[in-house]
Amino acid sequence: MNKENIELNKQTKINVTAKKGISLWGRIGYGLLYLILGIIAIFQIYPLVWLFMFSLKSNSEVFGKSPFALPESPRWENYAKAWTDGSINLYFFNSVWITVVAVVLTVLLASFVTFAITRMNWKYNKLVLGLFMVGLMIPIHSALIPLFDFFNKLNLIDNPISIILAYTAFNLPLTIMILLGFYYTLPREVEEAAVMDGCSVHRIFFQITLPMTTPVISTTVIINMIYNWNEFIFVNTFISSDKYKTLTVGIQNFIGQYLTDWGAIGATLMISIIPILIAFILLSNRIVEGIAAGSVKG
Amino acid sequence: MKKKALSVSFLLIVVTSLMLAACSSDTESSSESENESGSNGGDVKTIDFMHLWPEGSSKQHNEIVNSIIDEYESNNEGVEVEVEILGNEQYKEKLKVLSASNELPDVGMTWSAGFLEPYVEGNKFATLDDVIEENLSDAFVPGTAEAYALDGNTYGLPLELNITPVYYNKAIFDEYGLEAPESFEELKEVVQTLVDNGVTPITLGNKDSWTGSMWYMYLADRIGGPETLTNAINRTGSFEDPALVEAAAQIQELVDMGAFVKGFNGLGNDEAKGYFINEQAAMYLMATWDLPEWTTNEDNPQEFRDSVGYFKFPTVEGGEGDINSYVGGPGVGLFVAEESDVKEEAKDFAAFFVEKWGEQSVTKAGVIPATKVDTSETDLPQMYIDILNDLNDASNLTLYADVQISPGVAEVHLNMIQALFGGEVTPEEFAAEQEQALADEE
Amino acid sequence: MNKVMSNKWVIALYVLPALLVISVLIYFPIILTGYYGLMDWDGIGEMTFVGLENYANLLTDEKFWDSALHSFLLAAFSTLSLVGYLIISLILAGKIKGSELLRKIYLIPMLLSSVAIAQLWLKIYDPNNGIINSFLTAVGVENTPVWLADSNLVLYSIFVAIIWQYAGFYIIIYSAALKGIPESLVEAAKIDGANPIQIAYKIKLPLISGVIKVTIILAIVGSLKYFDLIYVMTGGGPNGASEVIASYMYKQAFSTNDFGYGSAVGFFLLVICLVITWLIRKLTASEDEIQY
Repeated sequence: MNKENIELNKQTKINVTAKKGISLWGRIGYGLLYLILGIIAIFQIYPLVWLFMFSLKSNSEVFGKSPFALPESPRWENYAKAWTDGSINLYFFNSVWITVVAVVLTVLLASFVTFAITRMNWKYNKLVLGLFMVGLMIPIHSALIPLFDFFNKLNLIDNPISIILAYTAFNLPLTIMILLGFYYTLPREVEEAAVMDGCSVHRIFFQITLPMTTPVISTTVIINMIYNWNEFIFVNTFISSDKYKTLTVGIQNFIGQYLTDWGAIGATLMISIIPILIAFILLSNRIVEGIAAGSVKG
Repeated sequence: MKKKALSVSFLLIVVTSLMLAACSSDTESSSESENESGSNGGDVKTIDFMHLWPEGSSKQHNEIVNSIIDEYESNNEGVEVEVEILGNEQYKEKLKVLSASNELPDVGMTWSAGFLEPYVEGNKFATLDDVIEENLSDAFVPGTAEAYALDGNTYGLPLELNITPVYYNKAIFDEYGLEAPESFEELKEVVQTLVDNGVTPITLGNKDSWTGSMWYMYLADRIGGPETLTNAINRTGSFEDPALVEAAAQIQELVDMGAFVKGFNGLGNDEAKGYFINEQAAMYLMATWDLPEWTTNEDNPQEFRDSVGYFKFPTVEGGEGDINSYVGGPGVGLFVAEESDVKEEAKDFAAFFVEKWGEQSVTKAGVIPATKVDTSETDLPQMYIDILNDLNDASNLTLYADVQISPGVAEVHLNMIQALFGGEVTPEEFAAEQEQALADEE
Repeated sequence: MNKVMSNKWVIALYVLPALLVISVLIYFPIILTGYYGLMDWDGIGEMTFVGLENYANLLTDEKFWDSALHSFLLAAFSTLSLVGYLIISLILAGKIKGSELLRKIYLIPMLLSSVAIAQLWLKIYDPNNGIINSFLTAVGVENTPVWLADSNLVLYSIFVAIIWQYAGFYIIIYSAALKGIPESLVEAAKIDGANPIQIAYKIKLPLISGVIKVTIILAIVGSLKYFDLIYVMTGGGPNGASEVIASYMYKQAFSTNDFGYGSAVGFFLLVICLVITWLIRKLTASEDEIQY
């Protein structure tokens, strides 16, 4: 690592030809940059605005009228409908706890594995990593019937454990892959020093590696959280009682045999995005703070 | 060292608690289900019933279902009906998964003909002829229960019956001095006038290609008579019959005239319907399940609802088909699982359900049931009464092609419909491709 | 050092729980998928063993290869779009004003479920009332494209939506990786007079190359088994013009009741992913890392 850095520094020295100071062109450049960044930002934030308008419209407004159009008379009753007819109040709690348990389990297990693969010395680490990577490649619909059969034999159908396990299994490979990239980048000096000092592996893992990887852990938590929160194929297939269903199934409540209530779907989507938006904002701050904490230790 | 022990035990707790949770709930739910199913001679028998009318999108349907269940439970001491509800697509997917694991609900919903066939061949659905003979011998509109029959046995009790008229916007027609066409030539004239005035004549959501299929089926019927397409499908005839090729050619003529809304191959049916409701298109061919949209649905402006009329699909000059022949058929029906622990109760419940559903569905939910409806005593919007009368006069009912044929060939048919409308194949290729698919299956 | 970090028991303790979970919930279905692929089975009734017939049919199935081509195209486009995500992440990682806020805004789309995203893009592409065509009509374009209804445009129209959908996913990964670069290295380069582009190219990119390799694999594998938006937005149509492997597999297995064949397609997809991942590993292998 150190050697590499020195080499990098050398290279940059040789290649540096840039002038200092901000010229007029520099300013125009910055202006353009901000303009582009701003336009992209509008593209990215527009969906929320659109979804909000969508949630206040009736079917006939949703289809046929311009998507820019404001709702003629805002239909707040879509929200009331989503809350009561869609049983959202019931599903909401399920979504939260199932997501949290699955995310914690996935990220913890993935961190253990990544640590063992990148930091510990054993013969089969590449093989095991390969095994996890293959898990990325199975299309979810191929797995439905075998998984249903399996959970059914264990009597786990209509039991939240089935979806928690399924979420964990299907997100583990992705989570490990993301963690892996970071573990390679992270300097090992601190851990090596800790080993010299006679620390146990567990202590190194929990007290040094985990804190140092907070940014990537936050990243994987965000990604896992979003995936689990929005998942519905597993829930629909493995859960049949209302008491265990999650928010995404609430959307199904508005899809009829011939008629779909799009306004209420919009309201359900809007309600379901709020908690995840808040969690996301809090967590994405952790990505920055985590580094600060990590670098103090480093 | 303490830390080490701590962290190890933490990990162990996580893992084992999961295992334990799995095991404990294991025993819990198994004992529960034993009690519920009542196969051990328990007191309460539970009928699992899966349907696709969620409260959110189908409130009236949902209420009728619940009231029927309440009534049944109070009539039959010791029987409980447990309900699971899913949206349309998810319902189909889950039914399949359940079936693969032999876990079908005791009573559930099925579609007719092609959908039902693999379930019957896999011996998953129980025959219901005994129930029909006993309780429902004269209840169904002729031809509906037959759509759920295979090799002389009936496996489904139909709940709905739809025919497919062409809805049109009277206000737009009046504006351009147009009248509801009775012949295909007149229809083309209407289309031409509207095109000349910059109005979209027909809205069509051909992304869901069964919508385009209905246009094709009608033309096939009007040109070749009701048997031609049916014979091609049951292999007594051929899909390369001149009438079927001609029908395809007529479709492309309509497309070339600009009859259909721009970009129809990318529009879903919901979006296409939106054009009609927002009065951006003058005509819309769709089954009678949309009647509530034009009559009772408060979300659509009163003014619009008042201006919706319908006409029967026009006849083609020199063609074999008459104007009272319809594309349509029963939608969903009830099945009883062959391996149900409570088969007798389930059959009894299904029969009871069909009977009660028939009494209430049209007045309360606007669904035309497959059981006979007495219009004299009910207070219905005029359009319903007209449609029900037309139904009585119907000379023929051809089941939707994608339901009639097996799912594999249906896929080919639906793809070819998109290709035909999109001008990617000639009428001859269109016919040849489907003839091939049908022949391959024999 | 080696002794502590080579403790077999610790390794087992760390790896086995996760390995157990995936071997039961992922390998078991994979093996069964391969097994179903050897069967003639509608997913409902009895199975009959047909050996490699399904796989043999697959090799000559034009529709399958068309959809495979579409999946490969998506993989190529997704991989190329990584460059764009990376540039945005590099800019945001620089010390420009408001980068924190911008980064958060850029990630918003990834919070939306595919149901919402599909509806949004259907509204964008609607041939008559849609956002794009309304705009085009307003500026005087007469023959506006029909996007999703046009066999030649449909695939690329959806690609744009997919690339947009995944922007947040990759930007968040790259951002976290860039945050992990020690400040001292960047400062040192600045003192040496390097400009931001040089710093990005010579220092930052090499340091996060491990992460970049991972995202390449994720993008390719994710694209090859991509399903969501395509299924909702076009159902693979018109007439198969936007069919991809996963939607083709789904149709075979669930709509046309050919579960055996659908499973064969699924298993074959897995094999394709494996081969491609192996190739990437070979192509990007470097000495100082474990190859992955």
